[in-house]
Amino acid sequence: MRSKLPHVLFFTLFFQWIYSQEKKENSSLQFKIKYENESLIQNKKYISLSKDTLQLETFRFYVSNIKFILNDNSVISEDNSYHLIDFEDSNTQIISIQKKSNLEIKKVVFSLGIDSTASVSGALSGDLDPTKGMYWAWQSGYINFKIEGKSSSCKTRNNGFQFHIGGYLKPNYAIRTIELETNNSNFEINVDLAKLFNEIKLSEINSIMIPGSKAMDIADIAKLLFSISESLSNEK
Amino acid sequence: MRSKFILLLIIGSISVFLLAFTFLRPTPIYLEIPKGWPKPNYDFSKNSLTEEGFQLGRQLFYDPILSKDSTISCASCHLQATGFTHVDHSLSHGIDGKIGTRNSMTMMNLAWSKTFMWDGGVNHLDVQALNPITSSVEMNETLANVVLKLQKSEQYKSLFIAAFGDNSITGQRILKALSQFELMLVSSNSKYDKVMRKEALFTNQEQNGYQLFKTNCASCHSEPLFTNGEYENNGIPIDTTLNDIGRQRITEKSEDYLKFKIPTLRNIQFTNPYMHDGRFNKLTEVIKHYNSIGNNKKVSKQLKKSMNLTDNERVDLVAFLLTLTDNEFLFDKRFVYPR
Repeated sequence: MRSKLPHVLFFTLFFQWIYSQEKKENSSLQFKIKYENESLIQNKKYISLSKDTLQLETFRFYVSNIKFILNDNSVISEDNSYHLIDFEDSNTQIISIQKKSNLEIKKVVFSLGIDSTASVSGALSGDLDPTKGMYWAWQSGYINFKIEGKSSSCKTRNNGFQFHIGGYLKPNYAIRTIELETNNSNFEINVDLAKLFNEIKLSEINSIMIPGSKAMDIADIAKLLFSISESLSNEK
Repeated sequence: MRSKFILLLIIGSISVFLLAFTFLRPTPIYLEIPKGWPKPNYDFSKNSLTEEGFQLGRQLFYDPILSKDSTISCASCHLQATGFTHVDHSLSHGIDGKIGTRNSMTMMNLAWSKTFMWDGGVNHLDVQALNPITSSVEMNETLANVVLKLQKSEQYKSLFIAAFGDNSITGQRILKALSQFELMLVSSNSKYDKVMRKEALFTNQEQNGYQLFKTNCASCHSEPLFTNGEYENNGIPIDTTLNDIGRQRITEKSEDYLKFKIPTLRNIQFTNPYMHDGRFNKLTEVIKHYNSIGNNKKVSKQLKKSMNLTDNERVDLVAFLLTLTDNEFLFDKRFVYPR
């Protein structure tokens, strides 16, 4: 008779492993796109602090190099971390990341935009594929974020405004790093567009489509759109 | 007996599968680097050349499906027999007969280029094709729509399977396949090259022209590529109907005002008209321009001194430039319209 011990040992270890995998849950990064405290609604009329009446049609942005800093200061990051978030497609607004740890997250770090390495690497795939409409043709490089809409304040064709903000060459490297601290792992990231329109007058600034100092200024403001909202309950 | 049969069946089907897989796998091809040439700039590790990838790129290059109304292909402005540029038009024309603001560039030895376009706005060969595809006066199309059109084509589905292993048609794959075709456009068999390889001899006139070239032109049009890849102001005054400021549009630096890419001189016999706006139709006009630039403060430092060549010397210089014609390249069957 051969001993059954090896089999028993194997299955015990196997189930323990499965169980531990389950406990090390995935963490997700959920972006909530808002205007002030409400979810952003396409083409709804909003009034900014600068007294501009505005409607938003397009809002898309790249989030890259996402890192979670855990309570023990260890860092969780993902490979090839480039995500295009589109306000019209809610599926893009949740990013799932393998946390591989039961520790709490104390800080989230990510970049708004695409780094220079990816910007000089030719044709890329997935969210970086040039078919996504976030790549400039005449001057290579990604559009880090795109905001388009209408405002009666804009004396432009169809009262349109458009911000295509990008640039990977110094001194106009438009990528921005965002660091947000949290008290628990149960959080969402608010992206409040009102904070941009409260800072600018659409009658004066309504079209930026090239890298440069104006794009750099808008990128600085865009950093302020992001904030963390911690939920006290477990519900999300 | 029965189990043996099953075993044989399994082994048989596995080997058929493996064999099929070997045949389905794209055939690697390699870019031959001519002797004495520098290392190519293109990173082939990100886009390994294969015969199937090259053929797909060739098909795309010659297919007007890339344009909004299926009238314009890459080859509309880039004809092989003229060094892959557009002849007879100072400014290239595209969709609906619309005319652009520049003379289309030649296409050869692109693996060695660091930047693309007359103003250097493009940083990688893969993404160059986005310009003609999306330009409203060239193809007026979007890459996303090209993907949708190609996905409807059974022929392209099989070409993508052959080149990439599955029938997924993406923007990245379209651009990488086009690059594969373009990377293979190597011109290195002109008389000049044969003289350098000691397989031919210059005539006295060509030899004299070569000496004049080395003294007067080679600092920018450096051998063996006949361009150093840089941008310079060559002293031609701005065309006020176009107001093309050149590289300054990209860099926003005042010192780049009126600077344009230094083009290769290879196959120059057939690549007329010359300059970014095609203002000179004859090689002799180009040489005349450089011969008498005169006092132009804005011109790049290499051109501050006029060449001051005699009439005979100018003829000799042209004779040398004609040795840069590479008929093997201009009529290479691998690059012609695919049938």
